[in-house]
Amino acid sequence: MTAFRVLPWLFVLVLSFGSALGQETFRIAIGVDPDTLDPQQSTTTTVDNVMDYVAEGLVTIDASGQTQPALATSWTTSDDGLTLDVELRQGVTFHDGTSLTSAEVVWTFERLLDPDVRNPRRGPIAAIESVEATGEHAVRFNLSEPAPYLVGALSMTTNVILPPSIVDVEGNSYENVTHLVGTGPYRFVERALGERVVVERFDDYWGENPYYEQVVFQVVPEATTRQSLVLAGQVDLAILPPTSDIPALEANPRTEVVLGPSNRTIFIAINNTDPALDDPRVRQALNYAVDKEAIIQGILFGAAEPMDAPMADSLFGYEEVGMYPYDPEKARELLAEAGIEEGELELDFMAPTGRYVQDFPAAQAIANFLREVGIDTQVRTMDWPTYVGTMLEPPEENTTQLHLLGWAPSYMDSAQQMEQFQSGQHPPNGLATSFYENPEVDALIDEAARELDPERRAALYGEAGTQIWEDAPWIFLWVQSFPMVHSAEVTNIGGFPNEKFDAIYARPAD
Amino acid sequence: MTGFLSYLLQRILGLFVTVLAVAVTIFLMVRLLPGDPARVIAGVLATEQDVARIRVQLGLDQPIVVQAGIFLRDLFQGDLGVSARTSAPVLAEIGARLPATLTLAAAGMLMAIAIGVPLGAWAAARAGSLGDVVVSTLVLFGISMPVYWLGLMLIILFAINLRWLPAAGADGPASLVLPAVTLAAFSVAFIARITRSSMLEVLRQDYVRTAHAKGVDRRTVEWRHALRNALPPVVTVIGLQFGQLLGGAILTETVFGWPGLGRLLVDSIFARDYPMVQGLVIVFAAMFAFVNLLVDLTYERIDPRVRYG
Repeated sequence: MTAFRVLPWLFVLVLSFGSALGQETFRIAIGVDPDTLDPQQSTTTTVDNVMDYVAEGLVTIDASGQTQPALATSWTTSDDGLTLDVELRQGVTFHDGTSLTSAEVVWTFERLLDPDVRNPRRGPIAAIESVEATGEHAVRFNLSEPAPYLVGALSMTTNVILPPSIVDVEGNSYENVTHLVGTGPYRFVERALGERVVVERFDDYWGENPYYEQVVFQVVPEATTRQSLVLAGQVDLAILPPTSDIPALEANPRTEVVLGPSNRTIFIAINNTDPALDDPRVRQALNYAVDKEAIIQGILFGAAEPMDAPMADSLFGYEEVGMYPYDPEKARELLAEAGIEEGELELDFMAPTGRYVQDFPAAQAIANFLREVGIDTQVRTMDWPTYVGTMLEPPEENTTQLHLLGWAPSYMDSAQQMEQFQSGQHPPNGLATSFYENPEVDALIDEAARELDPERRAALYGEAGTQIWEDAPWIFLWVQSFPMVHSAEVTNIGGFPNEKFDAIYARPAD
Repeated sequence: MTGFLSYLLQRILGLFVTVLAVAVTIFLMVRLLPGDPARVIAGVLATEQDVARIRVQLGLDQPIVVQAGIFLRDLFQGDLGVSARTSAPVLAEIGARLPATLTLAAAGMLMAIAIGVPLGAWAAARAGSLGDVVVSTLVLFGISMPVYWLGLMLIILFAINLRWLPAAGADGPASLVLPAVTLAAFSVAFIARITRSSMLEVLRQDYVRTAHAKGVDRRTVEWRHALRNALPPVVTVIGLQFGQLLGGAILTETVFGWPGLGRLLVDSIFARDYPMVQGLVIVFAAMFAFVNLLVDLTYERIDPRVRYG
């Protein structure tokens, strides 16, 4: 029984360790372990978010999704759209002491385009043919084709500016960077695998200095535990708490909930080539059959807004086209018009589990709504890699009928979203997994991708959006928000519409 | 002694054969999974050339027999490859996480032994009493409690309400307490149950009765004579429990944000990180086989009837 005699001592030991935290540290609980600290190899938004504390791109986006200058102060596209001239900010210092000139920018993009470096997001900058210095603080991008979305794409973390000396830092190589060096407001200190990433304030930062001396990103995969850390006062901010606890966290005086904006649209891709689903009236019927509002309130606890266009409203090119209101009668009518008897249609419906906010419970509710209009729907789930493998089968081998997906463009432009509706992007060429095909829409999107006049470009996307909405290649569901919970003792925390948290300038609440 | 040496050599050889068999099996299993790992690893915005290059890097463009050959050749050279997810050597990454898992498993195991064995022996000596009933009920509770739920309950009580212990993370010895208790709960119960039944059997034997009749003090009979003879099955169970702990670590590490191998395995499976999954399974198998060997060697020390030769 001596074990029990040890316990009180154990607690004393424990208490003496518990209070060693400094006051000037800001702690954030994140859900995934940074698998890389090489921005050029990153695929994960949360990991990007951590790296954004340390490194910066030529441009950035603000809380409303607008592109803003960062390491570039201005940019001009030539009339033919084939060159992009960028003026660089002066007086910017990297964490290793070198100052930012065009040489670093050229080196960065050469590495980005070098096939020897694994860059999972080369697609959005693939139009860049070469980069050259046109002055001490000026660079020119030569493009293979007009790419009006390119400036926006430069805001992606993948495209942050790195100094060439980064490959000499201990542990780094040209192929892989594990110790990040950038120009950001915080300097990288350490990464403990599976545990945390620590950064500290960089006092020579060119912009406004943040309040906290140190920021610790703690890796906590379990949502309930992340929330507990905030409640226990161990972290200041946790991203993605359990959705079902949002109302309780909102009511708790010790915590505040931020429903950050997001550009992630949640939808069900309908296999448009399936004989049962190739009639637009059937697909419209599916849209009318689902009560999105009820699911958002009852299952997502308010953490979403119903879609009113084929893209999120934070994207350039968004134009509201309307709504498919919940109307089961109309759904039945449309099905009857398409010659489908009640109970005749059976659909196989795949949904992931834990990938998006309440994805599988929402899918079950949707299946119920479909059953109510006489469509027998079976929901199944599988692990994510298998899921992706199944939905990316080429059309002739693809037997999926409905599958739930969330699509979040990595920069704030409709270009990436619209790839979902291009016939040239059907798997295996791309990720347009509904196999939707409309030559008119294809032409509009192609034209928009090259159009240099922003107003005209937005109008083209708007026109395409209206047609897509009519053809209903998806069941349009909602734009998910990005929930975060933070201690009421801190303030100045928000979110960017690219699903990143905005906490660099967090400070104690008065 | 030579008998022991050749026994030991045989066992070590057996250990290698086991690990090799596991390695080949896991190699084949991960390749039976549906879906294109190169596509998953490359990311959705990668160009087709990037996907093709990753396929070559992972050797996925080679026939499976060739892949297996390369894998085994590298394995014999102690090279577990490079993680497809992080581009770091698999062995280095496992090495970085191993101490966390071993610390947690060892703390859990020590706690389980320190509480489970005395508790089981104590209950057996008082079989049928109120104390025994209480212990048996606690044991049932411990065995049926989901690790996950227990972890969350402990966090709510000790981290949120009482604020005595950290809720998660690996920051100093304090943060080890809750995950170790969570991990130990099942093993405490299991070890207590086995100790109790083994002890009951021993207590019924003649020599115990003789000792009592001779007037040896009850404490000495129970704790020195009987418990020692009741231990061999308990040691076996402890060895098996170690494997259980490595498995339980996956859940515990997730709940408590503990930076160990269990979580690395889960992350790697979801990322289709072939080299990492293979490496981890091989390391787990080797640890398990090694513990089994230790258990068998311990037998000799505690049970003189067991001899190797």
